[in-house]
Amino acid sequence: MQDFPPRVATFFTGTDDAPSPDPDTRSPLAFLRWILRQQTALLAVSSLCYALWFLPMTLGPWIFGRAVDQGIVGGSTTALLGWAALLLGVVVVGGVFGVVSHTLVVRSWLVGLYGTLEMVTRKAAQMGHVLPRRSPTGEVLSVASSDSDEFGALTEVLARTIGQLASYLTVAFIVLTMSWQLGLLTLVAAPLILGVALPLLRPLHRRQEVERSRTSDLTSLATDIVAGLRILRGIGGEQTFGANYDRQSQSAKRAGVAAGIWQAVVEAVGVLLSGLFLVALVWLGAREVESGELSVGELITFLGYGLFMVGPIRTFFEFAQKGVRSLVSARKAVAIFEQRAPWRDPSEPVALDGTASLVDSASGLTVRPGILTVVVSAVPEQSAALADRLGRYLPADTDPVPAEDDEDARGRAARRARTERARERARIAALDEERATREWGVTIGGVDLASASLAEVRRTVLVSDTGSQLFAGTLQDAIDPHGRLDREQAEHALRVANAEDVYDALPEGWQGQLDERGRGLSGGQRQRVVLARAVAADAPVLVLVEPTSAVDAHTEARIAERVAETRRGRTTLVTTVSPLWLHHADRVVLLRDGTVVAEGRHADLLTGNDDYRHVVARALDDEEAVR
Amino acid sequence: MTDLLASSAQTWRDRSADPPVIPDELRPPAHAGARERNRALWQRHDLRRQRAEDVYAASRNPVRGWPVSGNRAVLAFFGDLVRRSRGTFVLLIALNALAAASALVVPRLLGALVNRVEAQGAVVEGLDGLALAVVGVVVLQALFTFGAQRTSTYFGQDLLASAREYIVGTILRLPVGRVEGASTGDLVTRVTRDVGTMARSVQWGVPRLLISLSTVVLSVVAMLLNSLVLAVPALLVFSLCTPAVRTYLRRAPRAYITEGATYSRINTTLTETVEGARTVEALGLSGSRVRAGEDDIEVSAQAERYSMTLRNVLFAALNGAFQVPQVVTLVVGAYGYSRGWVDLGQITAAMLYVVALGEPLDAVIGEVDRLQVGAASTSRLLGIAEVPPDREAGDRLPAGVELVGEDLRFAYREGHDVLHGVDLRLRTGERLAVVGPSGSGKSTLGRLLSGINRPRTGTARVGGVDLVDLPLEVLRTEVALVTQEHHVFIGTIRDNVVLAREDSTDDAVRQALAAVGALAWVERLPDGIGTTIGSGRQALTPAQAQQVALARLIIADPHTLVLDEATSLIDPRTARTLEGSMNSLLAGRTVVAIAHRLHTAHDADRIAVVIDGRIVELDSHDELIALDGEYAGLWRAWTS
Repeated sequence: MQDFPPRVATFFTGTDDAPSPDPDTRSPLAFLRWILRQQTALLAVSSLCYALWFLPMTLGPWIFGRAVDQGIVGGSTTALLGWAALLLGVVVVGGVFGVVSHTLVVRSWLVGLYGTLEMVTRKAAQMGHVLPRRSPTGEVLSVASSDSDEFGALTEVLARTIGQLASYLTVAFIVLTMSWQLGLLTLVAAPLILGVALPLLRPLHRRQEVERSRTSDLTSLATDIVAGLRILRGIGGEQTFGANYDRQSQSAKRAGVAAGIWQAVVEAVGVLLSGLFLVALVWLGAREVESGELSVGELITFLGYGLFMVGPIRTFFEFAQKGVRSLVSARKAVAIFEQRAPWRDPSEPVALDGTASLVDSASGLTVRPGILTVVVSAVPEQSAALADRLGRYLPADTDPVPAEDDEDARGRAARRARTERARERARIAALDEERATREWGVTIGGVDLASASLAEVRRTVLVSDTGSQLFAGTLQDAIDPHGRLDREQAEHALRVANAEDVYDALPEGWQGQLDERGRGLSGGQRQRVVLARAVAADAPVLVLVEPTSAVDAHTEARIAERVAETRRGRTTLVTTVSPLWLHHADRVVLLRDGTVVAEGRHADLLTGNDDYRHVVARALDDEEAVR
Repeated sequence: MTDLLASSAQTWRDRSADPPVIPDELRPPAHAGARERNRALWQRHDLRRQRAEDVYAASRNPVRGWPVSGNRAVLAFFGDLVRRSRGTFVLLIALNALAAASALVVPRLLGALVNRVEAQGAVVEGLDGLALAVVGVVVLQALFTFGAQRTSTYFGQDLLASAREYIVGTILRLPVGRVEGASTGDLVTRVTRDVGTMARSVQWGVPRLLISLSTVVLSVVAMLLNSLVLAVPALLVFSLCTPAVRTYLRRAPRAYITEGATYSRINTTLTETVEGARTVEALGLSGSRVRAGEDDIEVSAQAERYSMTLRNVLFAALNGAFQVPQVVTLVVGAYGYSRGWVDLGQITAAMLYVVALGEPLDAVIGEVDRLQVGAASTSRLLGIAEVPPDREAGDRLPAGVELVGEDLRFAYREGHDVLHGVDLRLRTGERLAVVGPSGSGKSTLGRLLSGINRPRTGTARVGGVDLVDLPLEVLRTEVALVTQEHHVFIGTIRDNVVLAREDSTDDAVRQALAAVGALAWVERLPDGIGTTIGSGRQALTPAQAQQVALARLIIADPHTLVLDEATSLIDPRTARTLEGSMNSLLAGRTVVAIAHRLHTAHDADRIAVVIDGRIVELDSHDELIALDGEYAGLWRAWTS
């Protein structure tokens, strides 16, 4: 039987674990079946334990009734003690299995939840930068944070439903043997009550939906206020936005009250209906006692079951509801899990020579080995695109497609929209695959990057782009994520990036904690730690995209000098328009409309090329706006 | 210059010897007898409790971030809110007591019916009348239930709305200096997750606890009224679970808080992995990110095991306590019946009461649990209110517009001054550029000159009055600090522009927009200046967002602007269109530009070079070049 956390080793093969089977992503239903199949034994045993847990409720009223008939009214002490002992036995069995079944359902819930979480992590690891091209980050994360819980909940409600079903059937059998009329009433009335109450649930759900959406608007208002708090406290506007928040809060409150009142209606109707059912039961039962068909004890048994029947039926409805919710979640999960990485490693991968020239055919750029090349472009995106090509990254030129839309389209319209989106996702996937499998157009030492394995490309060429991110952890982890450096190397990297002040600001030094995404650091500090990490990685070819855009001139000058010095003898390419870098460049390349139009040394280009002077000078000009 | 990495050797750590995230003691023994296994289970349980206590203690005393208040503050806070809606509160209790009471009448009526059936055998007299009585009671019960639920909704929603509005109010009153310095991440967590947790417990927890508690009390009364002989033994058995419940209630909130912390950790790690997918891939970190995720799950699983065992112990006690009274009622009832102390109707009613008591008791435990978790979140929210104000406005108003800093010193950490006695006298209407390496203190100087922080020693004055002694509304119209941020708020364009003078007329807003060249596109929007913009609403281009940010400053109309790396405010790609907007803002004002790029400095009237917390050079570009010092060296590097 599975235990939590489950062992999951699907999708991503970079860890040493033996691979575990991929989920079935042919359809949402197939996916749910797959999830449940993963823990068949666990589900079977926990269903059984649930049934045993319900035993006091299933048999209790019957035993009590028999005891009344034989022991109390009949006056037989032995019979009474016998029935009492049986009741005690049933209670003990129920108590024990209550604990066992709780342990088991927690287990199956968490196997479902943690398993999904691990699959999302591994899918993200497998897909790398391709995943955000296709699926919105928010949706990937919501599969992990909320849909995973739905799958856990599904396993629990399934086991409970099976247990309750067994219990319900037992009760039905008992009551039918005592009186078929009353038995029938019991069996029919309970579903009937819920059938009447059910239509009331729809408006309730609608109102709850409104409440949820207003509450989520309210949360985004609060987040917005916090995000702009520096401005609100610095420049002003507290009253305006405080009042906006209060207004939205009141509107959320009204929605909450509207939903709450319906909730009250539903509960009151529930009280009314089950009360009336009880009355009917008692009235009919009393008549049957009168006619001698039923004993007093049996009447008491019926009274007990009158309260019991609502439980199982409610569980069945809950199962139906959670089933539908899980299907929606499964659709979102499938949209993530079904994706395949576009890359196909060549059958005979070639090793790359990091000390050779790098040639990009699209721009006509040749990066000479062992020197610092700076690429200058009037349009920053064009140098970024060049860096992407050099590193074999697919360009960020797609709109990610969600699996589920928040718009409340229903029925056919929703299905059509879903199909439309699935088609769009497939189109992007096909496009990716087409780009990823043909010749890439960038060669190193004459070998096209597509002829080498992707891992080999990543080892050889390190691109540190403007979106480079820091991860939560110690400063030591941030500079040396692989644990490969010694202290001197790490110190050297910090000095090259002129990030010693980050070290100094943390009282615990290397063990000082950085927040997620380096949030506690200033933009300039973050950029310099990222740079230090890139320098420390010591890749044969290092591509830095705008590495010092958030750094002041003094520091930038220092960094440019140190990077040039430490990378001497290895291939380095920097995209920037800052003269402080250009000054240290062995070679400068000017890009226009994405192609190389001039190359040479900075000083020569500055005097000899109007175009170049214009681009570099314009970068200077922009700041003059401040004048 | 001192070596900032001096302590490196002491803090560098060999990570190959790091202990595993889950110590071996927390794994069950592989081969052991049942007894040994049982002993090991409880040992692990104790160890997990220790871990939960640690997490909880850490969450109460955060090393970084905003303060957390105590439990007493939480009680006082809600006590106050409840007192304010005393009427609703009383109505809620009354209606609910009526609903519970009518629910408790039904078993008595049923018991009476059983008695009649038993006594009269063949002919049941008054059966229809009795049945009608029950119908009447049921209808009443339904009505009271509706009333109670409805009141509880009003009560809970009111409580929740007041609580969250109060919290946001305190956030909007946070001291300017703290806001400018601190990371907002912790605040975001508080206004999202903690408000959510608080909402659940306030909206449902408080009313439900009141309802369940009164139901329990009335049930006990009803049982006693029904039959003392039957009630007392059953209630004694019920009360046997008290120690288990108390232990559970003491430990469970910490367990759940720990559990919640492990899930937010899982989410944080995963969010980083997904959002940083490209970085992960570039650096070959996929394997370690997967392992980090697995570690998080391992830790979370331990927290889940702890709370699971807590619940198992509780359930074992409750299952016994809730079910055994049936047996007791049966046996005592039979004995009492044979002795003529009780009749069959009382036994029936007692049985129904005993069965029905489990649910509200269960609910009481559950809600107390939930309330405690909610209280922990609330204490984090109320902690925000405990940040002491950093200034008290005096009543002196500035006489003049001259801004003077004298002997300015400032430290973020005690004993670490970042400014060492800076004197600076701004000339009205001048452009002063401040340049210097990062960490030299130029941003700090900017904050002191704009009255964001109070200098440790020395004064920053405008027109002879300390900036930090001015009321904020006045300060904002004297001098403004402009940073890289140009956040667009969710709200109308008008809301987004009027910040500094919230009573501005629509005409003033239009004029400000016109001054930065934004009026044309604003008027083309569906609702003009009433159009709602911001995240998820009408989208603005970066240039438009920047114009809105500039229009705010036009409305504020300060005589002095401190631009901290404000070039980043202006995206290079939109700079051309914004040049005019910026110029019209700066015209006629004194400007301190903390410069990012040297060309900003080149055209300034004066340049202050800040190095290691001191102004080492202060003069015009030409003079500084002639001086051939720091600035001249940098300038050569830039232009050569």
